[in-house]
Amino acid sequence: MEFLIISTLNGVTYGLLLFMVSAGLTLIFGMMGVLNFAHASFYMLGAYIAYTVATTINFWLGLLVAPILVGLLGIFVERNLLRRVHAYGHAHELLLTFGLAFIFEELIKLIYGDFPVNYSMPDYLRFPAFTIFGTDYPFYRVFIGLVAVGMFVFLYLLLSRTRAGLVVRAAERLPVMAESLGHNVPLVFMGVFGTGAAFAGLAGAVAGAFFPTNPNMAIELGVIVFVVVVVGGLGSLEGSLAASLLIGLFSSFAVGLDWSLAGLLSWVGLGDWARSVGGLFTLTLSSISGTVPFLLMLIVLLVRPAGLMGERN
Amino acid sequence: MKGKTIGLVLGAAVAFGLPAGAAQAEALKIGIIESLSGPQTSTGRLFAAAAKFVVDEINKNGGFNGAPIEVIEYDNAGGTTGAADKFKQAVADGVHIVLQGASSAIAGQITEDVRKHNIRNPGKEVMFINLGAEALELTGDKCHFYHFRFTTTAPMRVNALVNAMKKAGELGTRVYSINQNYSWGRDMEEATKAAAKVGGYEVVATVLHEVNKIQDFSPYVAKIKEANPDTVVTGNWSNDLLLLMKAAGDAGLKVRFATTFLDQVGNIANAGNTALGHYVAHPYNIEADNSDFPEAYKAATGHYPVYIEPQTVNAVRTLGQALKTVDFGGGDIKVSEIAKALEKASLDTPMGKITVRAEDHQAVIPVVVSKVIENPKYPVDGTKYGFGVVEIIPGPDAIYPVQEACKMERPA
Amino acid sequence: MLARIALIAGLLIVLIAVPPFLGIGWQNALTNMLIASLFAMAFNLLVGQAGLLSFGHAAFFGVGAFATLHLMGAIEDRIIAFPTPLLPLAGAVAGILVGAFAGYFATMRSGVYFALVTLAIAELFHSLAPHWDGLFGGEAGLSSMRMPWAGLTFGSPLQVYYLALGWTVVSIFLLWAYTRTAFGRLTLALRDNEQRVRFMGYNAHTTKVIIFSISAMFSGIAGALLAVSNETANYSLFSTHVSAQVVLHTFVGGSTVFFGPAIGASIFTLFAFYISEVTRTWLLYQGLIFVLVMLYAPQGIGGLVQTHIQHWSKISWPELGRAYAVAAAVAVCLTSALVFVVESFAIIFSPEYAAVRGRLDGAWPPFKLFGLEWEVFSPFTWIIPLGLLAVGLLLLPTARRMLRETWNHILERAEAARIAKSEIQLAGAVES
Repeated sequence: MEFLIISTLNGVTYGLLLFMVSAGLTLIFGMMGVLNFAHASFYMLGAYIAYTVATTINFWLGLLVAPILVGLLGIFVERNLLRRVHAYGHAHELLLTFGLAFIFEELIKLIYGDFPVNYSMPDYLRFPAFTIFGTDYPFYRVFIGLVAVGMFVFLYLLLSRTRAGLVVRAAERLPVMAESLGHNVPLVFMGVFGTGAAFAGLAGAVAGAFFPTNPNMAIELGVIVFVVVVVGGLGSLEGSLAASLLIGLFSSFAVGLDWSLAGLLSWVGLGDWARSVGGLFTLTLSSISGTVPFLLMLIVLLVRPAGLMGERN
Repeated sequence: MKGKTIGLVLGAAVAFGLPAGAAQAEALKIGIIESLSGPQTSTGRLFAAAAKFVVDEINKNGGFNGAPIEVIEYDNAGGTTGAADKFKQAVADGVHIVLQGASSAIAGQITEDVRKHNIRNPGKEVMFINLGAEALELTGDKCHFYHFRFTTTAPMRVNALVNAMKKAGELGTRVYSINQNYSWGRDMEEATKAAAKVGGYEVVATVLHEVNKIQDFSPYVAKIKEANPDTVVTGNWSNDLLLLMKAAGDAGLKVRFATTFLDQVGNIANAGNTALGHYVAHPYNIEADNSDFPEAYKAATGHYPVYIEPQTVNAVRTLGQALKTVDFGGGDIKVSEIAKALEKASLDTPMGKITVRAEDHQAVIPVVVSKVIENPKYPVDGTKYGFGVVEIIPGPDAIYPVQEACKMERPA
Repeated sequence: MLARIALIAGLLIVLIAVPPFLGIGWQNALTNMLIASLFAMAFNLLVGQAGLLSFGHAAFFGVGAFATLHLMGAIEDRIIAFPTPLLPLAGAVAGILVGAFAGYFATMRSGVYFALVTLAIAELFHSLAPHWDGLFGGEAGLSSMRMPWAGLTFGSPLQVYYLALGWTVVSIFLLWAYTRTAFGRLTLALRDNEQRVRFMGYNAHTTKVIIFSISAMFSGIAGALLAVSNETANYSLFSTHVSAQVVLHTFVGGSTVFFGPAIGASIFTLFAFYISEVTRTWLLYQGLIFVLVMLYAPQGIGGLVQTHIQHWSKISWPELGRAYAVAAAVAVCLTSALVFVVESFAIIFSPEYAAVRGRLDGAWPPFKLFGLEWEVFSPFTWIIPLGLLAVGLLLLPTARRMLRETWNHILERAEAARIAKSEIQLAGAVES
């Protein structure tokens, strides 16, 4: 019971962090069809900018400045780079963002070095929010969760309740139609890309103070964010929230599960045979918990490419 | 020639008046095949910096074989493929001795490459000095005459930790083992289980997890909490250690950590007061060093020796001792002679004596058990914390038996 | 056509005759170049011919390498006898089998989804391999040794080079021959209009699976050659980095030109071989080159070369020469400014420099670059790169205008010639 509740709490906050990073990507991917490889780099840049501001001026100012700067960078990338290769197709857009991810990582290494930097929350935020079964639950985890929920509510209302959101959705479904109705679709795309980047930057600024801030953080989160977006469904905000929570909870619980194929086969009396074969049969779920999200992504892609909550195939 | 030649101090050769005919002398070439780009760069650079520090020392005293020792850096880009590639390049450049330390996987690659090269090129052998790869198989299954390991292994670190912590009354009777799921982590798990009897504890649970992939360790902390151990033994390094300790600190988990790489640069700064009171077993602790080495090192590199730097310095200094006993008279360098000399070499360090065990070429080195304390003489990472010495275990007491798997063929 | 055959023959003669006179370092670099070229060509069968962008080709490259190592191990342990030069067959078999299986699923999807499926497949291998000791040797991987065969020891890098050369040339020839077959043409049709292929009565899915398997087979051969050359493989062969590298090679080289991928692979492998020793920031330059090619030469280097050859007779060389001279001047200015700034920053932000500063109580000592000493805060240090940057930026619009105009002229002439030719033909047809 204790393990169950604590794991659930942990899984939810980790899932919410994943949501923070992937929310922007979901928008970009859903609208523009661009598989933005540099998205996790925006997350990393957010953390480093916030670190720089936090160590020179103030932690909270960092949380404000990081998304703004990263958002502006996102706008620049969309307007001056992506738009230029748009005509050559999605493959080229993908490749361009891939190259950018490369460059961002190397620039960070050039300036900040290869070691993790000491970016952490102010001491007055370092206290347990509550204690459950003798385990402290840190306030900052709750804070990360609250920011993520705030982000979700903001985006959801923006898309479904405002005029701007209406135009965005129109531009997503029928870009040509929206354009002929007098809406500036390129401007909408730029805005979406910038917002997506800004949210990744904010996620970096918030999460970087809790998790380590180092030049590898983009690679480490990069692929898992794709998994979230695919599993959640193309362009579906609710879907990516659900997928984030699913993967967060799974990673949290997989740790406690020593299941293996051999264990499964022993129900039909083949356990010993499987154990003697070894290899794939004896790998426990907890030792391959990193593999499962990819398996999940593969299954979703093959069975239901629209994802959990996507509308189109 | 490809490669950056560093430490070739031509000025030194002139200033120290090398004997006539030195121009024809074959210079000893040392190739450092390290991760100088990619995720493990930070550690790779430290190995390279420390090795160069000693080579500069040797060169100031006249070099070797009538010429300054040349150091060539190769970037293996953090992978075995890159390492295999750069090893070939090093051979092409005429390197005699290869140094490497970050990652057991890469060391496994290099040691195999060296073995094959030596089979194919008798008389032109190359030697590999392993500075920091700790997987047991390197001096077990994969051992050969031209590989030398100048760092500890899992049993050395775990036994030292267990004994020192038991003496200090901080080990307890319930021990939890959490490690990375590869050769090194499995070695650690085995060593932790093996030391249970001596340490008088029960291993309550063991976990092997993915290497440097996990973002959030709180699920593991929840699992540790459930098992209710007194001490957690872990061989984790880099992010995997940092995140584990942070998650434990945030959850208010009251256990003591017995670690092997807590002294990695940036760990203490990132973990903050969470690290306080935890243990580490390592080959060197600056607090116990009363020699002028820390200051000399700082003068040369700008910082006190940290993490794997001291063991690297000791390894190359031991090589320096061995070089003093061989003389090629300015002629061709025979690596097999250097290897034989290195087997017999020894070095007195502030931590104790270092020798080489001829049976498997594992260095017999002292192990220091330390504890994170407040306000030590040498605070680390710009914090007020540092590593207080708990116990120094001399090499012969720390060493483990030669592995049966090691069948070394010696040159005639 | 004759000119092309002569060019290829000349290149082959160089590749055969020159390496014995090169150092071991170059021989190794050339072997890697061949392997990367073959891998990129195999990859391009999928993307260039069938329009399927795979982001997980490392899976088949890696599988080929591991299969070959298992075979090498069996030979070393004298379980079976097998000629060393034929080792890559193991990679081919493993590649085609795994490729058929993975391809069956992957080709159910297209576009970005196809890329994601392949990415997931490679990630599955990458995350499973370090835990699966029996098959992939765990984290350390597998390792073996090339055994002598028929009097050849395969001990020297040169022999390995010739082995790789033989396999690469034969494979690339087969890939070329494939594009000439009816089925190869069908592949192209599939890329351009899948629906039409279906209406013609072909099973599009089966066709795609076959192409995917062939591409995987040649990728497996490339992986096998790497295994033969390095005598080792570990799970890092499955990493996204390997998948990404082949994409990079192919597109910088140009995926629409047959030899484009090989050009890209050769340039980047040699670039990595040479530059990575000179500067630690080489990955940054690699990224910059890639992005610049994507932005300004989306057809890749091969595409550029092909355009020149295509319009050879229509090019007014003095005009183009002037445009290229200005463009080159701009490139030199901007590149040297950039390299100077990046390398200076690399030094100023480096731990070594911080160490020196620490010794000097925080003072900023001059740093050495390109054989000279530079003061950090002296305006003279920065006036040079800034000046070069300014000159480059000032000339940039001119250079772009000249290039655009020159090429417009060439294309206009080509168009005019085409029209004239068709008019003559038309006239001829009317007369007869």
